[in-house]
Formats: sequence, C-alpha cells, structure tokens
Amino acid sequence: MIAVSREDNKVVVRPAGDSIVAASIPELRLKMREIVAEGVQELVIDLTDVQMVDSSGIGLLISAFNSQRKVGGRLAVIHASGEILELFQTMRMHQHFSVSGN
Amino acid sequence: MIQSAPALFEMRRELPATFEAVEEFIADFRRWGQVLLDRESWFAAELLVREALANAVAHGCHADPSKQVRCCLRLKDGRLLIAVEDYGCGFNWRAAWSNQAAAADCSGRGIEILRQYASRVRYNDRGNAVTIIKRFSEENHT
Repeated sequence: MIAVSREDNKVVVRPAGDSIVAASIPELRLKMREIVAEGVQELVIDLTDVQMVDSSGIGLLISAFNSQRKVGGRLAVIHASGEILELFQTMRMHQHFSVSGN
Repeated sequence: MIQSAPALFEMRRELPATFEAVEEFIADFRRWGQVLLDRESWFAAELLVREALANAVAHGCHADPSKQVRCCLRLKDGRLLIAVEDYGCGFNWRAAWSNQAAAADCSGRGIEILRQYASRVRYNDRGNAVTIIKRFSEENHT
C-alpha cells in the first residue's frame, strides 16, 4: 500500500513494494496526480523500500516534476539506494530535481 | 575435446505479453540473481532484463495477453546473456539507437538505459528480437 504523510505544505509518498516499474506505475501515478492536484508545495518521494526503478519509473518521476513545476511546486527524491542514485545520475535526473541517498 | 563449463544459471520462458507476467519472471530471476551476483551487478542485470521485456510487451505486443514474449537468460563465465523476442512487427532500432530523450520527456529512456548498462546489444534486422550481453568483473559474481 502506498503510504502518504503530510506536514504543512509538504507531502511524502512512500511507494508500495520494492520497485517503481511498468507494472506498479498505474497505482502510483493515480496517487501522485491526486496529490499534485491538491496544489502541494513540496512533493517528496521516499525510496527507502525501493530496490529498482526502470525507465517507466523514471518517466513517472519526470512527469510528476513537470506537473509540480507548472504550479510552482517542487519535487524531491530521498533515501535512494546507491544503485538508484547512480542510475539517476546516469540519466541526468539530478538536473530536474533533488535526489538524495540513504 | 574441450567441453565448455555448464551454465551457472539459465532460464528459458515464453510468457504472456503482460507486465504482471514480467513481474513473475523477474521474481524468479531475482531468486538466482541476488545469490549469484553482488548488489550492483544484480541491479544492472535486472534493469536490463526489465527494459528488454518491457519493450517487447509494450511496443512489440501492445500488452496484449493473447500474445507471447520469449525470453532466455544465461549466466556463464562472468557474463549474462539476455535474449528477448516478440512476435510483433519490430521497430527501426537503427533510427532509435542513438536517441536521447529530451529533459522534460516522460518516455524514451529505455534504449538509453540499454546503451549505458549493457556491454553489447544486438537486434535482428526486423527489430523484434534483441540479444544483450552484460559482462561482470570477477569480483562481481560467485
């Protein structure tokens, strides 16, 4: 189950399962759209339990970043594993939003 | 006569073209991959398998469960071979190979991941079958 916690104008989303991949995207996309539509200032994706992100997962994060930017909000990714950090650097994700490791 | 060493690990499967079937396949692969490879190598291997299968399911078969995707994995002598084939009409991989998604694009990063993580990638002419080789250094596998 996707966990969502709120604090002032910041929402932290902790995805369900250990992968953000093609099969898990639809549910997470729906939840993130709901949150973005609320007009939240800071959307934080907590990858504590996530071991794998594929190109679909990267696409979802870029999409959330684009949506946040349109309404003047921010996106951040926290607690990424070393392998996911390296993937995000390779794919230039850090040019879009803040990514921090465990 | 010199006989080659048996494969350390091999999986051959024909699966329906759904992302759920990909997850079942990946779960089986993980049971082996996480034992035989260190964390960094397992991550790269699983990522490559996922991208190859996702392309076949999404683009080759349009996620039609009545269609099949064939996948073979073989880990031997410090290298993983990933062969994925679908029965679709293929794609123009020559045109797509050097593509780089624009910063704000939400798709189009699968081939770039193959370029960055694979040691070698080969498509057939039609573009409906891909063979990927990932080499690991000695310390990356048992």
